[in-house]
Amino acid sequence: MWLCVGGMIWLLLTLGVAGGVTPTLNGVEIDPEGELIVALADDTNNMDPRIGMGSIRSNYIRQVFESLVDVDAQGNPVPGLALSWKPIDDLTWEFVLRQGVTFHNGEPFNADTVLFNLDRFYRRNLDTWGIDDVTASTSFEKTHPEVTRWEKVDDYTVRLYTSDPAPTLWDFIGREPMVPKDYTRQQGVEGLNERPVGTGPWRMVEWKRKDSMHFERHEAYWGRKPLYTKMRFQVIPEGAARIAALKSGEVGLIEAVPPLDATVLARDPQLRIASSIQKLYCRLYVNGRPQDQYDSGGQDGLFSDARVRLAMNHAINKEGIITKIFNGYARENASPVSMVSYGYAAQPPYTYDPKKAKALLAEAGWQDGDGDGFLDKNGDTLSLDLVFPAKHYGQAFDEMTPAVAEMLKEVGIQVTITLVDFGTLLQTAIKGTLPRNGGFTACRTSNNLDADDYLRDWAALTLINWAPYPPDLLALYQASKREVHADKRLQLLAELQRKVRDWAPVVSLYQEVKVYAHRQDVLNFVPIPELNMDFRGVALQKR
Amino acid sequence: MSAFLLRRLLHAIFVVWGVVTVVFFLVRLTGDPTGFLVDQTATQEEIAHTRHLLGLDRPVYVQYLDFLLAVPRGDFGTSIRDKRPAMRMVLEHLWPATVQLALAALLLSTLLAIPLGIVSATHRDSCVDHLSRVASLFLQSMPSFWLGLMLILVFAVQLQGLLPSYGSGSLRHLILPAITLAAAPLAQNVRLIRAGMLEVLAQDYVRTARAKGLAERLVIYRHTLRNAALPFITLSGLSLGFMLSGTIIIETVFSWPGMGRLIVQAVPGRDFPVIQAGVFVFAVIFVLINVLVDVLYTVVDPRVRLSS
Repeated sequence: MWLCVGGMIWLLLTLGVAGGVTPTLNGVEIDPEGELIVALADDTNNMDPRIGMGSIRSNYIRQVFESLVDVDAQGNPVPGLALSWKPIDDLTWEFVLRQGVTFHNGEPFNADTVLFNLDRFYRRNLDTWGIDDVTASTSFEKTHPEVTRWEKVDDYTVRLYTSDPAPTLWDFIGREPMVPKDYTRQQGVEGLNERPVGTGPWRMVEWKRKDSMHFERHEAYWGRKPLYTKMRFQVIPEGAARIAALKSGEVGLIEAVPPLDATVLARDPQLRIASSIQKLYCRLYVNGRPQDQYDSGGQDGLFSDARVRLAMNHAINKEGIITKIFNGYARENASPVSMVSYGYAAQPPYTYDPKKAKALLAEAGWQDGDGDGFLDKNGDTLSLDLVFPAKHYGQAFDEMTPAVAEMLKEVGIQVTITLVDFGTLLQTAIKGTLPRNGGFTACRTSNNLDADDYLRDWAALTLINWAPYPPDLLALYQASKREVHADKRLQLLAELQRKVRDWAPVVSLYQEVKVYAHRQDVLNFVPIPELNMDFRGVALQKR
Repeated sequence: MSAFLLRRLLHAIFVVWGVVTVVFFLVRLTGDPTGFLVDQTATQEEIAHTRHLLGLDRPVYVQYLDFLLAVPRGDFGTSIRDKRPAMRMVLEHLWPATVQLALAALLLSTLLAIPLGIVSATHRDSCVDHLSRVASLFLQSMPSFWLGLMLILVFAVQLQGLLPSYGSGSLRHLILPAITLAAAPLAQNVRLIRAGMLEVLAQDYVRTARAKGLAERLVIYRHTLRNAALPFITLSGLSLGFMLSGTIIIETVFSWPGMGRLIVQAVPGRDFPVIQAGVFVFAVIFVLINVLVDVLYTVVDPRVRLSS
């Protein structure tokens, strides 16, 4: 549908230009030769998608590279470089590829490209291909060892075989960007990283590290093209400077507008505010690990009892935080899964109810025995050493954590806040040295579409798993990992989300709504719930 | 002179070795960078695998010996985050961005400070002197991020893009960051020159020069300024060193692609090779500037001998 509409718009525009007529979009004259300058807070560290696809990097990488599975404006999976994907049986998946797609250098995209990329994902045959390995953030051979082999059925059909059912294969393989085979072999992985060549709507023409990246439209792009020819991603780290550059007209669009600034900018007739819910899901992680799973000194985490964690969820006035601190640019979510993930099932919110919170804590045996205002049990005080990484997540995260601490104090939890840099928090999580009564506020996001990417958080012992699944939930999770039938799997996912909601492995805080601001002459910009911006179909009004 | 330079060179090598050694061990005390490279859902096994690929699972002394053997070749390793040669990254940010900005700010703060300091001293307690002192105090008290943002709001936003608010590459881009960077040293220099001039102007030999009928211009520039300039030279040398080390706030506000932001981003990111290469370059810059300042002393004041 989008492809047809995009194609028609493109045809009309082309005819208009060829006939000497200024092209229009919805009756507005547009500038097909224009350049859009987008101000971003940071540069990408890499352009080779294998190295990593964090929230900043994805925005750059997905302009140039594409995946087998694309997403629409609502975050739904739609055909990308693959026209379709389906399980042939419990242990086989088939991807039918789009024909006529070329990389920016003219190299064709086909089944051989996919096989080459799968080899890279799984670090196989690298010597045969003559390319080096890279330090990748995701090790497929460890995270998805169930994929055992892959083969080309014909030039545009690829099959993957698994040792166990892999219902999310369409997602974890399908969302990985595809790099060209011949180009990578010729240029090496270093060349690919420095001078990336993809199939995406934008071709990178210059990269001034830590400063800017310049793009030109990929004229042979198979899908809906942007309606202007040049784009620059300009790094402007300081939020106030980004806003000033937008107001002066030096840039056309800025990201990561602080919620309070968004209200002010919305009053400027030259500017428009656009926002979209994101997968960035912020939570309070508390130590609920058994004693053998962290540097414990022989004691279970102080928050091992689900009733305590549930009480903490009820102690926090999330609506108040979202209204007052985020100016409405955030969402409350009681499901462990992002609201825009495939398989998300809405859960009853944890109502703000300090009385209920206190009752749950009392049920768990915590009472204020000595009258100091804090709860005790067997000589232990219910205290929380709360660590939070300052200046890392943006928006209003830094203001939110102290508010959460104050609310927890109201129900009798003694909270001490320590502000650290993100690297220090990572060290603590890696080494498992979070104290017995420790916790941290942090956000996690996802490059994938399926709910599994969130639900697996408590299945294996990872940096953010501080309350591992009990046996019944683990069994349910593993059942969802084996169910290939879509409807049955969605039911399992919904059941799992309901149970995880009640078991409360984390204190759910908010899901981010990302705010963008742009000049009024930037037309058709629609933010998507992914980590990247999508400029396909965007136009610039003629000045 | 050559003996002096040789001695300073040996001294410099020792200082630079000491600095990079201390930094090598200090950065490793802050933790390891693996956490930044793996997914947040990575298991301990995946983390260990990444540490192995980075060579961080080797004993620290082995890493240090490798490092020491590589440094003379200018090889500081590959940036852990950017996967590029660390020294190349540092030099790309040093030249031209940081050098341009530092020299522009130094020029601005020196060329304006000398006449302002002289006028302020020769017109002591006049309206000009009061104005100059208040302005100096004001410039020194203003946080540079605030001044930078104010300049952006006036020259880029209110005056509709008269000067660009970000970026580099042309003289227009250089103006606002250079003014912001020069503001505090300018104020400091004016106060220093004024104080130095006032002290020297009270000396007997100045009175003698005036008594023998020398033109006031010659008294000021030949006899007073040269003698008042020694602390100013020292301070300017140090200022240039700091400016060449990168100025994180100015670079952040004006999106100036200089060395300061590179290094400051590398520190929380535990990008050891970039930190080590950056600190090496800082150390070399400071040592060279100190030598230059020593040599300049002899030019300004012939009584100073390098050999002493």
